[in-house]
Amino acid sequence: MQVSRRRVDHKGDALISFQDLEVRYGPTIALKGLNLALEDGIVGLLGPNGSGKSTLLKTLLGLLKPYRGGGAVMGIPLDDAASLRLRATIGYMPEYDALIEDVSAYEQVAFWGELSGLNREQARDRSHEVLYFVGLDESRYRNVSGYSTGMRQRVKLAQALVHSPRLVFLDEPTNGLDPFGRRKMLELVLKVRSELSTSVILASHLLEDVERVSDQLVILDKGEIRASGKMADLRHILSKRFELRFLAPLTPEQEARLAEIGGLLENLNGLYDIELRETDASVPFKWAESAGAVLVQVTPRLDRLDEILIRAIRGTNA
Amino acid sequence: MPIYAPSLPPRANLTRSKSPIAVMARFDLTRIFRQKLGRFYGFVFLTILIIQISVLYTKYLVATQQGLEQLKGLADQLLPNQANFQASLLHSSMLLFLWLQAAIISGGLISRDTLYRIRPLIYAHPVRPLDYLASKALVAFGIPFCIQLPFIILPWLLSMLIAGLSGPVWPTAPLYLIPAAILNSIVMASVTLGASALAASPKSGMGWAVGLLIFPSAVGGILTKIFRDGSWMALSPIALTESWPEILCGVDNPTAPLWPTIIATALHIGLWAYVARRRTEPAEAVI
Repeated sequence: MQVSRRRVDHKGDALISFQDLEVRYGPTIALKGLNLALEDGIVGLLGPNGSGKSTLLKTLLGLLKPYRGGGAVMGIPLDDAASLRLRATIGYMPEYDALIEDVSAYEQVAFWGELSGLNREQARDRSHEVLYFVGLDESRYRNVSGYSTGMRQRVKLAQALVHSPRLVFLDEPTNGLDPFGRRKMLELVLKVRSELSTSVILASHLLEDVERVSDQLVILDKGEIRASGKMADLRHILSKRFELRFLAPLTPEQEARLAEIGGLLENLNGLYDIELRETDASVPFKWAESAGAVLVQVTPRLDRLDEILIRAIRGTNA
Repeated sequence: MPIYAPSLPPRANLTRSKSPIAVMARFDLTRIFRQKLGRFYGFVFLTILIIQISVLYTKYLVATQQGLEQLKGLADQLLPNQANFQASLLHSSMLLFLWLQAAIISGGLISRDTLYRIRPLIYAHPVRPLDYLASKALVAFGIPFCIQLPFIILPWLLSMLIAGLSGPVWPTAPLYLIPAAILNSIVMASVTLGASALAASPKSGMGWAVGLLIFPSAVGGILTKIFRDGSWMALSPIALTESWPEILCGVDNPTAPLWPTIIATALHIGLWAYVARRRTEPAEAVI
């Protein structure tokens, strides 16, 4: 039984907003009462496999109906009446192949363009342009069945961009790519934002990908938002994180006094992972001097975004 | 090493000019023509059409040439006459090949999308599930209808040209046969699309379609033998398509009688259209 869906107001300036959004597959709750507002830019949707990323994208596309709550994408509400209008302004690159194997990339991108509302001539012209943009030049006339994984991903990206959407949903765009291919794909994602002014929602389980291109981050797990915010804020938090190594293990009293300079996150056999109150690496040395400890090494932990993800998923100190 | 464009030209204006139904139907037709089924089936249908026209011309010659008077009895015995002849323009052998062709073509229409998982992507565009189904139905209906049409129009035209109103083909024959061809095409489209919706690949779609033809035909045949009642033949989609031209042309003993044919036609169309609709819903496509 579906609970009555109420129409939900959304923030006018938000790219995407949703309130109390719940989506179910039969009795299984895929998304649990999500509340969020996202701004223009590249939004990284991060979470382990099965966390609800694809379900969220499909809900935002109007492919799945919310069981409860609602939201809006670019001011267009998530309801049946507006779903066609919404889909005409969005591009979607699915996670799985979704390519028509027995036709060329050029033909199928033109087909998707026509389905998005371009007329036949526009769709053909645009297909050439967008395939060239993603780096498929002469090979665009070949049947997709002979393409490598990287080429297939680029065709999928091209079909999402062919009608010049204001927003694209990219679901695991680097799936199956080698490191070089991944780098190229992420460069393309950045180009989509910087040159086409298109906002991007990038769903991935790969932290590096999201970290490299996103300026906002949403961490999903088991259908719930564990953390969200701007990457700049996250990097600011990370810039306060340091690993401290002392000559001798701290006494319990000294450990208790660590709270004077920040929060102790982890103690790994004498290695103290700490989040300082300010981004000043000299603070631990001053504290060590006052506490009678010998600090031998202070290591910035800018690389520990993965820990934030893990902590967020564990539900601790996100 | 791929060459990347410096950038993408300014965004295109969306000028929706064609309905998604027409776009998808045209795309499917392009793919179907590439399968090059026309070579074999074109030969088969052309052969049957030539035979039909030969029969028509023979009937005309026997009826008009005094030198062939002695053959009249033999011709009347061998060749169908009156209503039977009109109905035989949509000949059972042609319909059987048409069913096979429909199974191959339409059996793969939805199942190919299932195999390549492109239906969710279609629904991510401004396309409603009914648009999707309508585009498939348009192709599945259009191909058999367009193939049946020459079998009605060409003999009728020839008959009118050589013998006028008193020719072997009734002047009003298209009025009976075109509705029969429409009904036949609807039955073919619904059965084969239902089969295609049940299958996970074009090959299994064809398999399902052939199965849906053979199984009800076998059951209908068995029940007809048991109850000694031809009404049961209406279970068979093949028999239905043979019956409609016969019924509409007024043949005395059609393959299946009128009411069982009407009921079975409605049942087949309703059931398989329902199956196709259910199996192509967005929820079905994304889970």
